[in-house]
Amino acid sequence: MRLENCWFCSSTIYPGHGIQFVRNDAKIFRFCRSKCHKNFKMKRNPRKVKWTKAYRQLHGKDMTQDATFEFERKRNRPERYDRNLTEQTLKAIPLIIKIRHDGLEKHISNRHKPGKRKEIQKDSKEVAQDIGMLPKKLISNELANPEKTKIKVKVVQQQTEDYAMEE
Amino acid sequence: MASRVKFENSCEVGVFARLTNAYCLVPAGASEGFYSVLEGELAGAVTVVRTSVAGTRIVGRLCVGNKRGLLLPHTATDQEIQHLRNSLPDEVVVKCVDERLSALGNCIACNDHVALTHPDLDKETEEVISDVLGVEVFRQTIAGNILVGSYCTFTNKGGLVHPQTSVEDLDELSTLLQVPMVAGTVNRGSEVVSAGMAVNDWTAFCGSDTTATEVSVVESVFRLRDPRPGALGSDVKNSMVQDFFTS
Repeated sequence: MRLENCWFCSSTIYPGHGIQFVRNDAKIFRFCRSKCHKNFKMKRNPRKVKWTKAYRQLHGKDMTQDATFEFERKRNRPERYDRNLTEQTLKAIPLIIKIRHDGLEKHISNRHKPGKRKEIQKDSKEVAQDIGMLPKKLISNELANPEKTKIKVKVVQQQTEDYAMEE
Repeated sequence: MASRVKFENSCEVGVFARLTNAYCLVPAGASEGFYSVLEGELAGAVTVVRTSVAGTRIVGRLCVGNKRGLLLPHTATDQEIQHLRNSLPDEVVVKCVDERLSALGNCIACNDHVALTHPDLDKETEEVISDVLGVEVFRQTIAGNILVGSYCTFTNKGGLVHPQTSVEDLDELSTLLQVPMVAGTVNRGSEVVSAGMAVNDWTAFCGSDTTATEVSVVESVFRLRDPRPGALGSDVKNSMVQDFFTS
């Protein structure tokens, strides 16, 4: 049993899923689901279809070069079975997956950063210039209206009592 | 010493077994009679490994090798490759070849020094063969057939080819491979000589249908007979007697 990658979208194909197509030149195409298979039959190029890994890597949306990719390279020369090596590899696999995933998230957030900065700048500029465009009712900040504070004055109660007594 | 053997009622022993000077690959699940003949002849000199290649039992036709290495097709599963790597001695290099023509045993015939290959083999595969097996590679056809691995079999001592090979081709092959070559048949006139027998430097296994004449030809060209002077006549007599009893 071997977990292959879909030829079209590059996701892993688990046992019991998907279709394999063998062409006349003995090249094998594996697909994870009928969506990818039908796209292939329509002769679509995965590098032009937005949701595939091939497109995302080609257009810099996902990271392309990372040390963690070296682990999954296909090796044609096997090594003798060593229990320690196998044990350590099995322990390392989830760690490597986590590292790769974190790296991918960081790559994407780094990609979004300059855009976010620009958006914040644009927003603050708009607030500074165009705040008068909003109706007066909605404006509830110091820029538009100066603060009107209530001033409390103490009323002297003794004077009224004097007047009553005089009568 | 050439022995006659059957694999599950089939005389095409070369299809099921891959025999070299360092190891022997056989499929699992056959009757113990076959294994006992093999292991009896090969004893401790050669590691006999029971395996499947790409989930099939036709290991003789899918893989190819000599004492230095073993080449497997890309269709061989990871578990099989690991099993072979664990079972074979460390001197033997196990390598998977990414090649369109995946039945390597039909496309490549080799001994420890020279290899003959299918004329349409990839350049990278040729390099892998010369690298892993440590041999000189020649692209050839045998009697007009491109499947050199099926129609020709040779060891370090001698070789047997398709019966319709012309004399000039035979001479050319002999000079190329530096071993004596003979055009002959196995298994009662079968032309696919490599599929009908498994041979290495000191033993050969032919199918049970092989006639006594064919066995004597095999024994003489592969130098499997005892090097005593009077032995020539006695071996022919032995094989003839054997034929009377088996037929």
